[in-house]
Amino acid sequence: MSLSIHSIKSQFPIFTHRPELVYLDNAATSQKPQSVIQAIANFYEKENANVHRGLYELSGNATRRYEEVRKKVSRLIGAPDPKTIAFTKGTTESINIVAQCFLKKNLQKGDNVIVSAMEHHANLIPWQQVCEQTGAALSVIPVDANGELRLENLDSLLNAHTKLAAVTHISNVLGTINSIEDIISIAHKKNIPVLIDAAQSAGHDRINVKNWDVDFLAFSAHKMFGPMGTGVLYCKEEYAEQIDPLNFGGGGIKNVEFGQTEFLNYPHKLEAGTANISGVIGLGCAIDFVAQLDTNQMVAHTKNLSDTFTNKLKSIGKVQIVGNAKNSGSIVSFNLENIHPHDVAGFLANENIAVRAGHHCAQPLLESMGMPATVRASFSIYNTMGDVEKAIEALKAFKKFWL
Amino acid sequence: MYTQVIRTHNDGPFHFKKIENASHVIKAYNPICGDRFEIFVDSNSKKINSIHFHGFGCAISKASTSVLMQSLDGRTFQEAITICYNFLKFINKELSTDELVLQDEFLAFSGVHDFPERYDCATLSWMEMKKFLDQIESR
Repeated sequence: MSLSIHSIKSQFPIFTHRPELVYLDNAATSQKPQSVIQAIANFYEKENANVHRGLYELSGNATRRYEEVRKKVSRLIGAPDPKTIAFTKGTTESINIVAQCFLKKNLQKGDNVIVSAMEHHANLIPWQQVCEQTGAALSVIPVDANGELRLENLDSLLNAHTKLAAVTHISNVLGTINSIEDIISIAHKKNIPVLIDAAQSAGHDRINVKNWDVDFLAFSAHKMFGPMGTGVLYCKEEYAEQIDPLNFGGGGIKNVEFGQTEFLNYPHKLEAGTANISGVIGLGCAIDFVAQLDTNQMVAHTKNLSDTFTNKLKSIGKVQIVGNAKNSGSIVSFNLENIHPHDVAGFLANENIAVRAGHHCAQPLLESMGMPATVRASFSIYNTMGDVEKAIEALKAFKKFWL
Repeated sequence: MYTQVIRTHNDGPFHFKKIENASHVIKAYNPICGDRFEIFVDSNSKKINSIHFHGFGCAISKASTSVLMQSLDGRTFQEAITICYNFLKFINKELSTDELVLQDEFLAFSGVHDFPERYDCATLSWMEMKKFLDQIESR
């Protein structure tokens, strides 16, 4: 299906309510299409019931719809079986589950866990804390001046005591797209499982966990046009049994006695308590929305916007672009000489232009690059060249006003 | 938001330098945005003899810290507490413009009333200073 930006943008009600809005904070959360909003409202208006074990029609339907989304997620990420898909609160919870419910019991002093220097806090702190709890060490794959991972260092970082490597697919600060397949193949030569953080890429770029041979993959619905508070953990079948439940309670169980409990298999053992059913249905609807688009065209469109924005930004002068990776996505981080990023973002906010300023939950990365913060513009499928123009004009006006 | 007073204080902040061996060093840090200042207080038991600051922050937080320095330099602790309370009350809209005596520069931050996102920027150093002064006075 060919990509008509006008027709895509018209599916997002926020732009009808706020026609002036230039939304360039997509790496923080995407806007939601009408179909997703409507699916959630419909569920509560017409279909609300709890899933599993209800014998009445509404509960049966809710269960079927909930489980149907597991199949949709499988198709989205190329998973071999829906039973590899667990629903969570989001990327952060998915990663914490792998750290606390899988890795921790196998981790001890002398072991190590590998992350990259470009991880956001969600794919850093869970590993840092599990290392602290067990006495293991955290090793970091360095980033070069262009914002690319120095993978030549990876092989020497991985050793017989490495229990897991966790790397982001796309950096939320630099936009760098990492060579996931290379990282996985290097790690697998030493039988080290790999977790991929797909928060920025799921629903936007191609993901194929089977072809890539990923062991764990985490992402959130809300960055791919779905609702907040819903996410996914993909776990390769060979590790599924080794994951323990995070929460204990109703659901997720096979048999309960006063003295002991027998749990269901993955993924159900991770879904104790009433799930975010409307959220999962919203995620399913977001996947349907993405499925009607052409991924190559989506990627080309946002890449074109971010490249144009970057080039025009450079021509303004006194601009530092942070991250110049050869393979990068729709995220542009920058600084205007000697001006605090908050002042840039504050000025843009007055012009109805939404960007983010700060460390983007990746404080160690920015500190290693010698800057406390950046301004970040991130593009999505509903953004237009007009948005790029408005942002550039506003930045020119700001520079004139300030410098 | 970016009034002339804020621009002037941002470009040429008052008493912007690190002081070795200050009687007290107060840290004002906002982990959300990364703004980070150190305030160096040189004082005796009753009075702030001189006060300086250093660090990194946006124009609003830097200018507000600069105005804080200017307002408290040479003041007694008692006077300093009143000034801090007045500034914070003004930002919280609990004090009318008419009640602001002698502190015209506070008015430069009234933009925060329309941009609540910048509340933390304007109050970061003032809140930490108020905490410090409250501790001193309760001794």
